[in-house]
Amino acid sequence: MTTEELLLSAWQPGFVVPAACVIALGAYGVRFRSRISGRAAFFVLAVSLFFLALASPIGVLARGYLFSAHMLQHLLLMLAVPPLLLLGLPREKDTPPPPRDRVGSAASWLAGVGAMWIWHARTLCNAAAENSAVQSVQTVSLVVMGLAFWRPILSPRRSSRIEPLTAVAYLFTACIACTILGIIVTLSPVEVCSAYMHPADTLGALPLLREGWGMSCKADQELGGLMMWVPACFVYAAAILATLGRYYADEGVSIHAVGGAK
Amino acid sequence: MTAARSPGVAAPGSSEQESAPSHEQAQATDAFAWVATVDHKRIGIMYLLTALFFFAIGGVEALLIRLQLAQPNSHLLTPDTYDQIFTMHGTTMIFLVVMPTLVGFANYLVPLMIGARDMAFPRLNALSYWLFPFGGLLLHFSLLAGGAPSAGWFSYAPLSETPYSSTAGTDYWVLAILVLGIGSVGGAINIIATVVTLRAPGLTIRRLPLFVWMTFVTAILIILALPVLNAALVMLLVDRQLNAHFFQAYGGGSAMLWEHLFWTFGHPEGYIMALPAFGMISEIIPVFSRKPIFGYGFVAASTVAIAILSFGVWAHHMFAAGMGHRADLAFAISSMAIAIPTGVKIFNWIATMWGGALRLTTSMLFAIAFLLEFVIGGLSGITFAAAPIDWQVTDTYYLVAHFHYVLFGGTAFAIFAAIYYWFPKMSGRLLDERWGRAHFWLTVVGFNLTFFVQHFLGIMGMPRRVFTYPDLPGWGALNMVSTVGAFIMALSTLVFAANLLISWRKGAAAGDNPWDAWTLEWATTSPPHPHNFERVPPVRGRRPLWDLAHPSSSQPGKAEASLGDVTIERIPLDKSVVAVTAFIVSEASFFVILILAYVFFNVSTKVSAAALDVRATGAFTVCLLASSLTLHLGERSLHRGSQAAFRAWLIVTLTLGLVFLGGQAHEYSSLLQHGVSASSSLFASTFFTLTGFHGLHVALGLVALGILAGLAFAGGIRAGSARAVKAVGLYWHFVDVVWIVVFSIVYVRGIL
Repeated sequence: MTTEELLLSAWQPGFVVPAACVIALGAYGVRFRSRISGRAAFFVLAVSLFFLALASPIGVLARGYLFSAHMLQHLLLMLAVPPLLLLGLPREKDTPPPPRDRVGSAASWLAGVGAMWIWHARTLCNAAAENSAVQSVQTVSLVVMGLAFWRPILSPRRSSRIEPLTAVAYLFTACIACTILGIIVTLSPVEVCSAYMHPADTLGALPLLREGWGMSCKADQELGGLMMWVPACFVYAAAILATLGRYYADEGVSIHAVGGAK
Repeated sequence: MTAARSPGVAAPGSSEQESAPSHEQAQATDAFAWVATVDHKRIGIMYLLTALFFFAIGGVEALLIRLQLAQPNSHLLTPDTYDQIFTMHGTTMIFLVVMPTLVGFANYLVPLMIGARDMAFPRLNALSYWLFPFGGLLLHFSLLAGGAPSAGWFSYAPLSETPYSSTAGTDYWVLAILVLGIGSVGGAINIIATVVTLRAPGLTIRRLPLFVWMTFVTAILIILALPVLNAALVMLLVDRQLNAHFFQAYGGGSAMLWEHLFWTFGHPEGYIMALPAFGMISEIIPVFSRKPIFGYGFVAASTVAIAILSFGVWAHHMFAAGMGHRADLAFAISSMAIAIPTGVKIFNWIATMWGGALRLTTSMLFAIAFLLEFVIGGLSGITFAAAPIDWQVTDTYYLVAHFHYVLFGGTAFAIFAAIYYWFPKMSGRLLDERWGRAHFWLTVVGFNLTFFVQHFLGIMGMPRRVFTYPDLPGWGALNMVSTVGAFIMALSTLVFAANLLISWRKGAAAGDNPWDAWTLEWATTSPPHPHNFERVPPVRGRRPLWDLAHPSSSQPGKAEASLGDVTIERIPLDKSVVAVTAFIVSEASFFVILILAYVFFNVSTKVSAAALDVRATGAFTVCLLASSLTLHLGERSLHRGSQAAFRAWLIVTLTLGLVFLGGQAHEYSSLLQHGVSASSSLFASTFFTLTGFHGLHVALGLVALGILAGLAFAGGIRAGSARAVKAVGLYWHFVDVVWIVVFSIVYVRGIL
């Protein structure tokens, strides 16, 4: 098997994933038909990435073959799909700001960071790689917890977003939590997810992955860890830049201050 | 709006009547007044003068290095002396010159620039300062105790371990850096609390002068990065003093771990030394171009991006250490990416000058030279991001040239610009421009002669950290050029020192605002009187003094909107809570490293917890967790106004904490009786280090609780100290949370 053959043949869309994508797009069209704008592109992109993460070779390899493919899928489902979905929703009218909800934002933060960590506990990681029911739970939980994490930053309603400087701290700390996990996975002397050590080679792709791509188990885990360590941080950094960019552009329109005036 | 224009606001020119007390202050030569001071301005000046003193020492060390290298096969210095000198030069310049200078400027300027009377915690500020000369003294005391450290400023293991560095030099190095690190964290916490809680009305975060903003971001980097170094240092100290082997391969330790930990600190450290310099440049260039900074939002926001990315690129210092191609690739990409926000800033500064009415004062000359030299250092830095180039030129003089262009051509040039710019505020007198120009040109010529040729030497393969070199074609000549350059720099420093001395005594009077600048520090007298401002001018934009001078063009509509829109409830943050939160963040960073080291060394050996009595420790754990609850109940009863109940709960909390410590002491003694000590295995080393430092923090928390108990019994907790109760409570809960993590990882089997 060559790389091209693998990339062309390893598509397993099944029924549920395409159906979910079609329903999501249809629902978007019906719900917002009068307000469709350029933002819809974000939504379409989110749905396409969701489809790619699950049905394409990324999703197929993530099921037991490559830890790094799993990590790519994980990052797409948490750090790409949810923020793009939120960006794709039409902006809604501002309501008066609700009372500060610190517990709510702490819970959102924990959802986002917790989902990263929990699914890399050894037992859960193995279960998800081997059992398709657990994998479905994983997929849904990643998207849902991802939405919970990104809502305080990118909610279509301005008043339900947290203040920009709090948002920076929120993203900064999430990035550090993510970096620490990436470092552990990269440098760990033992395998994080032993299910990927001996995949059941139903596709016949293993020789290609191990020899052709040079993906030994150790290299595979290292690559997975590095994905979480380095590119994941770029997503958070980009979100910080966007948040601060909006904040500075608003100078003189409204004042969000931490503490400040005595 | 009416409040902003009220007659109670003083114009900056109305400070004539305030010059009397400031004069008095300038004449207060009583040495004890300086030693005992808690005034942020005096502390700032002491930082700068002490740093200048160490700059002279580090400079003499640099001259010795250059003298030794002036000719091939020279034996002016012995190899060992040479090692000691370059180690001391690096350590001194980074920890005793650049960092304290930047902290000194932050100390002097931040309260003035935000319209505050002092730092949030003046006494903590004095403590942070005094730790700095103390650390410097410790480092230099090694000279009397068998020899200076000689393992380089990064003390790579295993070279820094006892078998290879047997004198006490490295131990003094570790202790000195620990002391300096603690001082830096204290200073950073103070800066964070000051910027968050003491800003003048109207001075929102997005109107902050860029120097203040960048110093603030730097302070956050310090509380995250310095504890990583501190954790690595205590492990090295445990290795050296208790014969553990965290970093020695023969006991199962890992020298790579030291490199990772050192550069986890070391790369952010690069930005800790660069960001405040960027802030200085961002203040100076606009004023001498008569234009506001181009792209304030970008400059400010990209600073945060740099800060966060700096934790994702450190491994590019380790391309030659053998991490593997995948890691090399990831870090090559991220290192190139971090160059983007930094590089675009250069264009912001150039665009600020573009079309401006430039005034080429000495300060501005240094700022412009900063742009040129820093670009050279930045570009050679990007070449290192390509791993194959790094393999070729790492540990050669190409690298030496690179980081001197960043640290001297970048940071030091910015510091010189800042000294010429703010000296009038500090002394009331202008630095002499003719001496200044001589200083500037000598520095530029000397600096480029010294370091530009080192690029070529490095590419030709001359290794750094070697005491001499063979007589290869061209090497002797280029090294001689470099040495001549170094002596020109020495001459420039003498000119600078002369200028400082002469101008301090006889310089032209500066007045409040000699540069016609826009930020708040220029609204008071030069030097400012002890409480800084009579009245702080109104702040309605990023350039308050410009707004004051141009009342008609200050866009009243916009200002009105900004004041009319303050509907969002402001929660005034309490400075104690902000400070203790920052402290907790720094402590968390410290414990994360100790915990990661434990996990790293014990994850593959399943024997770890076998030696431990989980049940007994479990019982003590319950005590510690219960103490969090009792303290919380105590806080609630204090809230209800019941002092007696508070005292009772406090006593219960103290007892539970003591029981926990007693349990830990019992556990330690039984382990030691069974022959398990810090040196017996990696499990034992990591176990004792991690739980020992946690125990130390419990003890610290108990001291704080004891002080609260003393207050409570002496006369009851009043409104003022109720905030202290809250702060101590936060810390105590944090210590308990750390224990939950430690207990789960160390004692609960199978979780790893």
